[in-house]
Amino acid sequence: MARTKGYPEALEKKLSEQRFFREDSNPEFTKNVKAISRTIAHMCYQCGTCTGSCPSAPRSSYRIRKFMRRAVLGLENEALTDPDLWLCTTCYSCSDRCPRDIIPTDVIMSMRNLAFKRDIVPVNFLKTVQAIYSSGHGVPNNDVNRAAREKLGLTRDPPTTHMYPEYMPGIRKIIDHYKLKAEADRIVKEREG
Amino acid sequence: MSENGINHKFAFYLGCIAPNRYPGVESASIKAMKKLGVELVPLKGASCCPAPGAFGSIDLAVFYAMAARNLVLAEQMKMDIALVCNGCYKSIWEVNHKLKHNKDLRDAVNEVLKEVDMEYKGTINVYHTAELLYNDKFIGVDKIRDSVTNPLTGARIAVHYGCHLVKPHKDREFEKEVMLNTECPTWMEELVAAIGATPVEYRNKMMCCGAGGGVRGYDIVHALDITNEKLINLMEEKVDALTDICPFCQLQFDRGQIEIQEKFGKTYNLPVLHFAELLGLAQGMSPQELGLDLHGISCEPLLQKVL
Repeated sequence: MARTKGYPEALEKKLSEQRFFREDSNPEFTKNVKAISRTIAHMCYQCGTCTGSCPSAPRSSYRIRKFMRRAVLGLENEALTDPDLWLCTTCYSCSDRCPRDIIPTDVIMSMRNLAFKRDIVPVNFLKTVQAIYSSGHGVPNNDVNRAAREKLGLTRDPPTTHMYPEYMPGIRKIIDHYKLKAEADRIVKEREG
Repeated sequence: MSENGINHKFAFYLGCIAPNRYPGVESASIKAMKKLGVELVPLKGASCCPAPGAFGSIDLAVFYAMAARNLVLAEQMKMDIALVCNGCYKSIWEVNHKLKHNKDLRDAVNEVLKEVDMEYKGTINVYHTAELLYNDKFIGVDKIRDSVTNPLTGARIAVHYGCHLVKPHKDREFEKEVMLNTECPTWMEELVAAIGATPVEYRNKMMCCGAGGGVRGYDIVHALDITNEKLINLMEEKVDALTDICPFCQLQFDRGQIEIQEKFGKTYNLPVLHFAELLGLAQGMSPQELGLDLHGISCEPLLQKVL
């Protein structure tokens, strides 16, 4: 007898019940990762090409494949509280080689976004936000560099927000729209007093 | 050819590290590109791209809006953007691409931009100067070769492509197909050969510099350990210099060598130059004109060989 295409209904039901099989798994997490990363993490079949391509893997316990599995299984706490989450250099080597055309790097980025919403974030990331809010630049100008620029025949400050601070209110408005600066300030203050 | 030999004009998006740490990259790019018929016009009021790793990790929605603001500034000038940094390319090119193709993202960004009287329209393109140099639609290898007055003959130079210009290649849309090869590309080596130097291959060429994704700020030893591995591979080939097309990679290799010396006790003294600086040298600009004295690692050994 020819088999029907796809799973018989009963089997499909059984599988859907088994899909999230741990107490602490959260199906919402899988959906949130997919929405933010805009990539198909659930297609991962755990081949490990990502970890094999990762420059951070040989020198740490960071395993991108593990994070991919956590995305699929909805293991939110396990993923977001793992300090290795912040060791991805976002080099996209894993994404270049993934045979399922997933972008694992963007899965990591989405998990970092979700971690930030729970105040889990290294301070250096927040300091970049603060720097951009105050001068428009993540790496601002300094006096040594101003003198060097002058010698090269350039303006002391580059023709960016540095030379045209009148553009700063617009930038602050955009960041404030998301209350990002206030959040960054709050978390930095909690950590550093 | 139009007036003054200028064929193309671009809004020059500077980013942070080039103007604020390696200003020679900025001045060399402007001068060298002008000799090749490309004028770089200042993009007034631009901000940080913002940093794709450090800023994007916090909240991608804000990241899109901030990058869109920079894009709108160029849209208002009715000019395509040219930039010199892979990190900036990731933010500016990729956000431009995403906003052009995803209405939901575009609408969300425009809702915020409305508060500052801006609207993203998706009317411009974004290019890395390395792409402009390689693509004969704009400049091309032959034209570069013709512009050289001081060929860097005898210098063994390796290329660090970096990550965010070419990866992930599945999302990139270069006109030159060879630029989509991210396993073992050689188009930058063609540029190095065009200025008279000898391009050198080395082990694991496409590996990351280690600085990206906020890792330099989060765990500097981890970041430097990646850099150190690349430096070991480079020294095996006895190269005279490393050239990059990303000021952030340059910072990691150049200032990073000083940090590696402090933390790991290893000394390499390998000069690290942005390709714009090398091109400037080959076109006859002086090291002072290029601000090479601002580098953490002295470029003297290379200069003695080629000047």
